[in-house]
Amino acid sequence: MGSLERSKKKVQLWKKAVVHFSLCFVMGFFTGFAPTGKTSMFNNHVASSNRSESSPQPIEMLHQATNINRSLIAEAPVTIPQRHKDLEHTSPPEELRVEEEKQPKLTPRRFVIIVTPTSTKDERQGVLLRRLANTIRLVPPPLLWIVVEAQRDSKEVSEILRKTGIMYRHLVFKENFTDPEAEMDHQRNIALKHIEQHRLSGIVHFAGLSNVYDIDFFDQLRDIDVFGTWPIALLSANRNKVMIEGPVCDSSQVIGWHLKKMNNESDTRPPIHISSFGFNSSILWDPERWGRPSAGQKYSQNSMRFVKQVVLEDDTKLKGIPPDDCSKIMLWNLYFPSETSPIN
Amino acid sequence: MKLSALQQSYMNRRNSFRGSAPLDSSSDSSIKSPSAIFWLVLHGLCCLISLVLGYRFSRLVFFFLFSTSATNLYTSPFRSATDLSQTLNFRPNPVVNPELPFNRTAATTTTTAAATTSSSRVVVGRHGIRIRPWPHPNPDEVMKAHRIIERVQMEQRLQFGVKNPKTVIAVTPTYVRTFQTLHLTGVMHSLMLVPYDLVWIVVEAGGVTNETSSVLAKSGLRIIHVGFDKRMPNSWEGRHRLETKMRLHALRIVKEEKMDGIVMFADDSNMHSSELFDEIQNVKWVGAVSVGILAHSSETDESSVSVIEKKEDGENPSMPVQGPACNASNQLVGWHTFNSIPYAGKSATYIGDRAIVLPRKLEWAGFVLNSRLFWKDAEEKPELVKDLDSLDGVDEDIESPLSLLKDISVVEPLGSCGRQVLLWWLRVEARADSKFPSGWIVDPPLEITVPSKRTPWPDAPPELPSNEKVVVGVQEHTVKHSPKTRTPRSKRSSRSKRKHDTKIVDTQLPVRHSEQN
Amino acid sequence: MNGWRWGFLLLVYAALVLKTGAVEHGRTQPTERISGSAGDVLEDNPVGRLKVFVYELPSKYNKKILQKDPRCLNHMFAAEIYMHRFLLSSPVRTLNPEEADWFYTPVYTTCDLTPNGLPLPFKSPRMMRSAIQLISSNWPYWNRTEGADHFFVVPHDFGACFHYQEEKAIERGILPLLQRATLVQTFGQRNHVCLNEGSITIPPYAPPQKMQTHLIPEKTPRSIFVYFRGLFYDVGNDPEGGYYARGARAAVWENFKDNPLFDISTEHPTTYYEDMQRAVFCLCPLGWAPWSPRLVEAVIFGCIPVIIADDIVLPFADAIPWEEIGVFLDEKDVPNLDTILTSIPLDVILRKQRLLANPSMKQAMLFPQPAQPGDAFHQVLNGLARKLPHEKSIYLKPGEKILNWTAGPVGDLKPW
Repeated sequence: MGSLERSKKKVQLWKKAVVHFSLCFVMGFFTGFAPTGKTSMFNNHVASSNRSESSPQPIEMLHQATNINRSLIAEAPVTIPQRHKDLEHTSPPEELRVEEEKQPKLTPRRFVIIVTPTSTKDERQGVLLRRLANTIRLVPPPLLWIVVEAQRDSKEVSEILRKTGIMYRHLVFKENFTDPEAEMDHQRNIALKHIEQHRLSGIVHFAGLSNVYDIDFFDQLRDIDVFGTWPIALLSANRNKVMIEGPVCDSSQVIGWHLKKMNNESDTRPPIHISSFGFNSSILWDPERWGRPSAGQKYSQNSMRFVKQVVLEDDTKLKGIPPDDCSKIMLWNLYFPSETSPIN
Repeated sequence: MKLSALQQSYMNRRNSFRGSAPLDSSSDSSIKSPSAIFWLVLHGLCCLISLVLGYRFSRLVFFFLFSTSATNLYTSPFRSATDLSQTLNFRPNPVVNPELPFNRTAATTTTTAAATTSSSRVVVGRHGIRIRPWPHPNPDEVMKAHRIIERVQMEQRLQFGVKNPKTVIAVTPTYVRTFQTLHLTGVMHSLMLVPYDLVWIVVEAGGVTNETSSVLAKSGLRIIHVGFDKRMPNSWEGRHRLETKMRLHALRIVKEEKMDGIVMFADDSNMHSSELFDEIQNVKWVGAVSVGILAHSSETDESSVSVIEKKEDGENPSMPVQGPACNASNQLVGWHTFNSIPYAGKSATYIGDRAIVLPRKLEWAGFVLNSRLFWKDAEEKPELVKDLDSLDGVDEDIESPLSLLKDISVVEPLGSCGRQVLLWWLRVEARADSKFPSGWIVDPPLEITVPSKRTPWPDAPPELPSNEKVVVGVQEHTVKHSPKTRTPRSKRSSRSKRKHDTKIVDTQLPVRHSEQN
Repeated sequence: MNGWRWGFLLLVYAALVLKTGAVEHGRTQPTERISGSAGDVLEDNPVGRLKVFVYELPSKYNKKILQKDPRCLNHMFAAEIYMHRFLLSSPVRTLNPEEADWFYTPVYTTCDLTPNGLPLPFKSPRMMRSAIQLISSNWPYWNRTEGADHFFVVPHDFGACFHYQEEKAIERGILPLLQRATLVQTFGQRNHVCLNEGSITIPPYAPPQKMQTHLIPEKTPRSIFVYFRGLFYDVGNDPEGGYYARGARAAVWENFKDNPLFDISTEHPTTYYEDMQRAVFCLCPLGWAPWSPRLVEAVIFGCIPVIIADDIVLPFADAIPWEEIGVFLDEKDVPNLDTILTSIPLDVILRKQRLLANPSMKQAMLFPQPAQPGDAFHQVLNGLARKLPHEKSIYLKPGEKILNWTAGPVGDLKPW
C-alpha cells in the first residue's frame, strides 16, 4: 500500500476512465452520423420525385444532407451521377407503367389541326360556332382548333370557345377588310403562320363555320400522310339540287376532279373548295422534307397560296379519302347568303 | 478522404487503448467509499462530455465534408451541364455555348461566403440554353396529357356540375330529305355531348328507313327509333301539324314505358348550346326556354332582307327570340313571340319556297317537360287538359305543350328567365323535290371535269380581281357546267322546274360557297 | 456494478439519440403541419398579437412621391404603398411607441418610374438612408436596437440591394443600415446576399379588382395543358441570351414551341386571365428575379404553378404549402418538362387543384382595398407576430454601436 501501489491504482483508474471516455466518444461520434443518414435517405426520395429544395424554409439539417449527397456525387463522377440520372429519368416512366396498368392503354393518334376563320359580319357566327364546336368536341384527341377572328370588343367568341373544353387557340388580328373573302384568306394565313411559327406538326384542315361533318371524317383525316382530298357536298336552301365537288378517285388514287372547268383564265379563284383538302403542316415549316424548295420570301406573306399550290402539284402524294373511290360524302357545306344578310 | 483519414487515426487511437482495457475489470471493489461515488459521478459526467464531444466531432467531420462540397458546388452546375452536353448532345448553335462559361464574379463568392451552413448552386452569369435533340412532342405523352385534361374536366363536372342529374329524353321528329343528314348530324352531335343519361326518341315520318338508321347508328346513344305511318306533307303548315302528332306519339311512348326524366323537343332543325342540357336539369314540371330564331331567306331580294332587319326587342337586336318574358322580379308575365305580321303574305307556304320560313307562335323546342307529367300516378303533378291517349291529334289544336296544360301558370321560365338563349331554330330545307345520293354514297362516280396532273389552281398572280368580273366569268361557265355537277339523281329531279329564275342564283352559288367558310 | 454503469451510459446514449431524432422531427414539422388542410396558419388573426408603431415622416418620403407618379399604385411593387395605407387604419397600429413591438417606416423607395413604367432604384438607397437618419435622430427607438425591431417594405427586384441587375445588386448588398432590420420583400432566393435571414417574402402586387372582373365560372373546362405568356428572350438587355432567366425561359421556348400541348407565346392576349383559368399547368419560370406575378395569378386562377427557379423562396412559405400546390422543376430539367408533367399521377394533380381552390390560399396572395381577413397584409403581420417576442440580445448596451453609417458606395451617402 505504498505510494507506488496507489499511483498504480491511480494509473489504472485513469486508464479505465480514458477507455470509457473514448468509448463514449465513439458512441457520440456515430450518433452524429445516425440521424443525418436518415434525413439524407429521406431527401433522396424527395429529390427523385420532385426537387430537393422544395421545403419552404431553409432547413439546415436537410440542407446539409442534400449537400452531402451532392458531394458524394461530385467525388465519384463516373458511377453515381449515372445512377442519379437513372433515378431522375427512368423512374417516372416506371411510375407510369404502374399507372398504365390501371388505365386503358393509350394508342397515339395523329395530330389534327382544324383552322376556322370566323367572320364578324355574320350574325349566325355564334350559333354556327357552337354547332361546329359540338362536332369537334367529339373528335378524339389530340386535336388543336385554331379559330381566327378580327379583334373586337365583343367577347362572344372567346366565351363560346371557352365553354367547349376543346384545346383551341383563338387568334386575333387588327387589320380591317371590306372584302369578306380577302378577310377569310387573311385569317387562314394568320392560322398558317401560327402553325409555321410554332412548327406544329399535324394534318391541317380548314373547317368553315357552315360545315357539317360525319365524325368518321376525322379518322380519315388522320390517315393522310402528306396531302389528302375528298368530295364535299354543297347544299343551299330552297334549291332542288345538291352540288358535289371534289376528287374522282380510283381507290385512293386521285384520277381527276369534278370541279368547275377552268375555261376562263382570268378567274384566279381556286375551284377546289377550301374545306376539301387537308395537308401535313410540316410542308409549311419544313418543305424540303417533302421535296419542295423552301417557301422563302415569296410566300411569306401568303402561306395559303403556297399551300394551295403545293397540294395538288404532286399527284402521287395526294390521297383521296375515303379510300374506296372517294365515294362517301362525309362533309356538307350549308351555304348561307351571308353577304346579303342583315348587318346592324 | 478526410473522413477516412480521421477514421483511421481514430482507429489507431482505439487500438492503442485496447491493450489496457482488460485491466479495469479489477477495480470494482472501490465503490463503497463516498469519494468513489464522487469519482463515479465525475466519471459518468466525463463520459457524457466525451459522448457529446464525439457527437460534435462527427458533426465537424460532416462539416468538413460539406465545406469541400461547397467548393465543389461551383463546379457542380458546370459538371452537370457538361454531363448534359454529353448525353443530350447540345445542338451546335452560335448562341448556345456548350462550354458554359461561368464567369464567376467576385460578388458571387460573397454570396456563398454567407452560405456557410448551406449553399446555393445558383451562379450569376451566363447559362447555357438547354435544347434537347430528340423530337417533340412524344405522341405517348400527348395522349397522356389529354388523358389528364379529360380527367380534370371530368372532376370539374363532378364538382361544379349538376348533382343527381335526371335522364334526358330527347324527342325528334324527322323524315328523309336532302337536308336530313346535315340537320340530324348536328343535333346528334349535341346530344352525344350530353354528360347525363340520355334516351333519344326519333320518330320518322313515312316509316323507319335505313337512311335515318345509318345516321343514328353512329351516335352510340340509346335510341328509340320508331316509324310514323304518314308521309311528310309538302306544305309548312302540314309539316308542323304532322310533327306535332309525331311528338305526341313520342310522348305516348314515354308514358307507356314510364320513362323517368326530362323530355326535351330536339328538332332536327335546332342547334343547341351545351349549357342548355345543364339548364333543363332545373325543371320541376314544365319549363320554357328561349329560342333564337334564325329566320333566313335564301332570297337575295333586298326587300325581304330589309324586313328581317328591323327586328324588334331584346338584347340581341339582330336575332329575334321566342320564349318566356319576365318582369324585373323574374316572374313569368308573358311570351316573346316572333312578330310575323311584316311577313304576311310573304312567308313560305311550301317547303323549298323561296321566302321566309316562319316559326309557329311558340315552338315545341322551347319547352321541356318532366316525364312524370304523363304518368298516371305521379304525385303533385299539374293537371293536363286531356290524357295523352285520348289525343290523337287529328283535329286537336295542339300548338305547343302549353295546350296540354290546364293551368299555364305552372310554367317555369329557364335560362335566367329567358334572357339566355341556349337554343336556336333554323328551318332551312332544299326544295321538296330535291334529290341527293342515297346514303350520301356517290355511285356511279362523278364525271371528271378537270383532269388530274394539272393543278386546279392556276399560277396566276394572287391579286384579287374585282368582284364583278369574277361573277361574270363564273356565270358564263357555270351555266354550262352546272348540269354536270349534279349527281345522276339530281339530274332527274331538275325536270320539275318552278317558275323561279334559278339561273343567276345558281351560278353565283358555286363561286360563293367555294370561298365560303 | 459494471453492468449498472454501462446501463446508465446506454440510457444516456439512447436519450441523446432520441433527442436528436426529436430535433430532426421538429424541423420537418412545419411542412407536415400544413400539408393536410393547407392554410390553417393563413387564417390566423394577427390582431392582438402585435402592435406596430408607424413613424410619421415628411410627405416627401411617401405621399409626394406618389402624387408625382400615380402609376406607382398599379405596378408590381405597389405593396409598399398599400401596406402603408393598411397599417394606418389597422387595429394593430399603436400610437404609443413605448408599447410597440414593431416600428414601421413608410418610405416609397420604388416609386420612381421611367416613362415606360419601369421602376428605377437609383435614388432608393439615399432616400432610405435619409429616412433612417431622420427617425434615429427624432425618436429614440432606432438607436435602442439599431433597427432590429423595425421592419421595412422593400418590394423591388432585389429587395434592399436596390439594383435591378443581379450582379450589381449582389455587389451592393443589402443597404448597410438595414442589416439588422426585418425586410418585407418580394425577392426570395435562398442563400442570396439580397435576402436576409428572417426577411418576410411577400407576393408581388397584382390588381385584385381587375382579377376579380376576369373570373370565370369554375366549371369552365380546363382545356389547356400548359400555359405561359411572357418573354423568352430579353433581347434588349440580354442580346446574347443565357443571362435572362438563366436560360430557362429560352429553353422552354426552344423545346416546346412546337408542342401543341404548350400554349406559350410572348403576346399577352386580352383573355390572359381567363386563359389561365382554363389551363391545368401555368409556367412560372424565373425572369431576371426568381419570382413573377404569375405565382399570384396561378394561385388566384387555380392553375397549378410550375415553378422553375432554383432556390426560390416563395411568398409566405411558412404558411402556404407551395410544395403541395405547385410543381417544382430544376432549371436544368426544363428540356424534360413535358415528360415530367405528363408523368404526374392524376390524383396528385387533382389534389393540387383542390388545395388551390382553397379560398384562404388565394386571399393570402392579394392586397385588396379595403383589406380583408387573411389577405397578404394580414400574412405580413402574422409573419411579424411569429417573430415575437424579440430576443433580449437585440437591445444594445448603452453606447454600443454596430451599424456603420458610412458604409456603402459613396454615391449612396449623398443627402436625399
